Amino acid sequence: MRKTILRTVAVCLLLAVPTFAQKPGFTVGWSIYAGWTPYYYLGKSGILKKWADKYGITIKVQRFDYAPSLDAFVAKNIDACTMTNMEALDMPAASGVPTTAILIGDYSNGNDALLVRNGFQIKDLSGKKLLLVQKTVSEYLFDRAMTMNGLRDQIKQVRLINTSDSDIATAFLSDVNASAVVTWKPMVSQILKQKGITSLFNSSQIPGEILDLTVVRTDVLNRPDGSGQRFAKALTGAWYELMTQMSGTGPSTDKVLAAIAEGSEDTLESYKQQISTTKMFYTPQSALQFSNSADIKQKMALVRQFCFEHGLLGSNSKSVDDIAIGFPDDSVQGKPDRVRLRFDSSYMQTAAQGKL
Amino acid sequence: MAAGFHLISATPSRTMTIVLSWILFAIGIGFYLHTSAARHRENPEDRVTPTIGQMARGISGAALTVAEDDEIQTQPASLIQRFSTGMLWKDTIATGRRFLCSMALLFPAVLLGLHMGLFPYVGAFFLRFVLFFDKIIALSLLPILFIAFGIDELSKIMLIVIGVTPTIILDTFNLARSVPNDQVVKAFTLGAGDFDVAYRVVLKQIWPRVLNSIRLNLKAVMLFLFAGEMIASTDGLAYRIALLRRHMGMDVIIPYVLWVALLLFLVDLTMRIVNRRLHPWFRES
Repeated sequence: MRKTILRTVAVCLLLAVPTFAQKPGFTVGWSIYAGWTPYYYLGKSGILKKWADKYGITIKVQRFDYAPSLDAFVAKNIDACTMTNMEALDMPAASGVPTTAILIGDYSNGNDALLVRNGFQIKDLSGKKLLLVQKTVSEYLFDRAMTMNGLRDQIKQVRLINTSDSDIATAFLSDVNASAVVTWKPMVSQILKQKGITSLFNSSQIPGEILDLTVVRTDVLNRPDGSGQRFAKALTGAWYELMTQMSGTGPSTDKVLAAIAEGSEDTLESYKQQISTTKMFYTPQSALQFSNSADIKQKMALVRQFCFEHGLLGSNSKSVDDIAIGFPDDSVQGKPDRVRLRFDSSYMQTAAQGKL
Repeated sequence: MAAGFHLISATPSRTMTIVLSWILFAIGIGFYLHTSAARHRENPEDRVTPTIGQMARGISGAALTVAEDDEIQTQPASLIQRFSTGMLWKDTIATGRRFLCSMALLFPAVLLGLHMGLFPYVGAFFLRFVLFFDKIIALSLLPILFIAFGIDELSKIMLIVIGVTPTIILDTFNLARSVPNDQVVKAFTLGAGDFDVAYRVVLKQIWPRVLNSIRLNLKAVMLFLFAGEMIASTDGLAYRIALLRRHMGMDVIIPYVLWVALLLFLVDLTMRIVNRRLHPWFRES
């Protein structure tokens, strides 16, 4: 008996050592969101494995809740992670973990919304209760909604109630004293089914400000053996292979979408509905065009100002310029020696040229 | 060990006891400082393990400046005034109020447990239900709690009530049952009524143990309170921790957690002292 065990262990070691020693391994963390659930399918379908093999690495895909995925990324437990542009700035970048966005997957084009009951108008919100997850894109959306309606000075008069996203739908629906809520899909769809609830503002009114990214730690990308670069290339290749499958029409596309929806225990209809308010960059060309435009700088300027005003850049940041952002054309917002978040379009570019 | 010398009967000197009791603290603090220093060497902007200096700045900021969501008033001059309008104090008051409310609700639970233990009809009526209720994981029923009690204070307090009272009821029930029947019979013989027996014979002697049981459940109370505050609220210690977590504000979170530990320790200590004062004949805890 003991001999068998020993032999098994020895065989395992013999098998394990060469594979792990030769192939660098990487982990991607993702959380449930229309634009990120494709990672579930990438892992399950073998697309990612195909690309990882091509570049001589192994890639593991791991699902997290959103906040823990950010914690894991900041703690350097995972190499790449899905997050919004705002969290990329205020979590890893502001914690001194230089971060590079290699893929711009989509932007929220109606996924996030401000909903009210009793037909309130945005000017009526002063003094009312509003449920939201504070210090996230939800608060950003609310801030922008008030600003764009010229009510910036009234923001402080709205009573914000920090509510966990897992309970926000029931909390809002069951408490008639709560006048408004800011949240995202699928909760938005769930809340809107109730009678008497209307949508006042949604993210399609601020297109391109809530970006959904795949980010990699800059130190991983810069590994001297080049494995980090190969990792980024493999991710990009796999991602756009799936995007092509997702963007088609007909039953074969539906099959892929249904398989993706499975990753969040969702149905095909519900997932399609979420995708309809998500501006997916299905081709590397479209993502590249957006990431090289002047637009992205304008949007990031708004986001970083918001983060700074809300103290999200940390107590050590005395100025908004302390956590700088680098763009594909090498221009920098903030102090050039303190670039912590970088938008790198070179991988999307290589994909666009078909050279991956 | 040689015969006649047993480690169990050793009597460490006073200095030895003090030194021994602080060793684990020293190791813990040393380990933290080491990790923190190492992480800061590698990444000077690290926010996961703040240095002592950063935490000191963080907590003095939290204690002495007004929370950002409050109306900015003219900053009062004296330190005490600044503390009493500061974020830490405001959060402590909010959490403290909820804590006291739920503690107050534990006393009816004690009375219920007592009556269940002494009066067979009451026991028959409640016991099975409370036993069942005790096994319900309150946190998983949040949506129902929201519908029944709204999302304000009441639902947070009810979460604690549902989570902790069954334990207290059942504990009191068992304590009441464990009082020797001879005493009850004796009290009746001496002319006591039902309620004399309940309050003056049984309750009086189980009271110190009941207080002990409440004391040991403080942590459960706090756990449910924190869960409630993290789910939906506008103030409170756990609310602040939940918010700070969003941007890794560990420089404030760690002092906050230590502050909560200190407060809980003080409540615990007070209850122990009160218990000893009220029941000098009770020698168990």
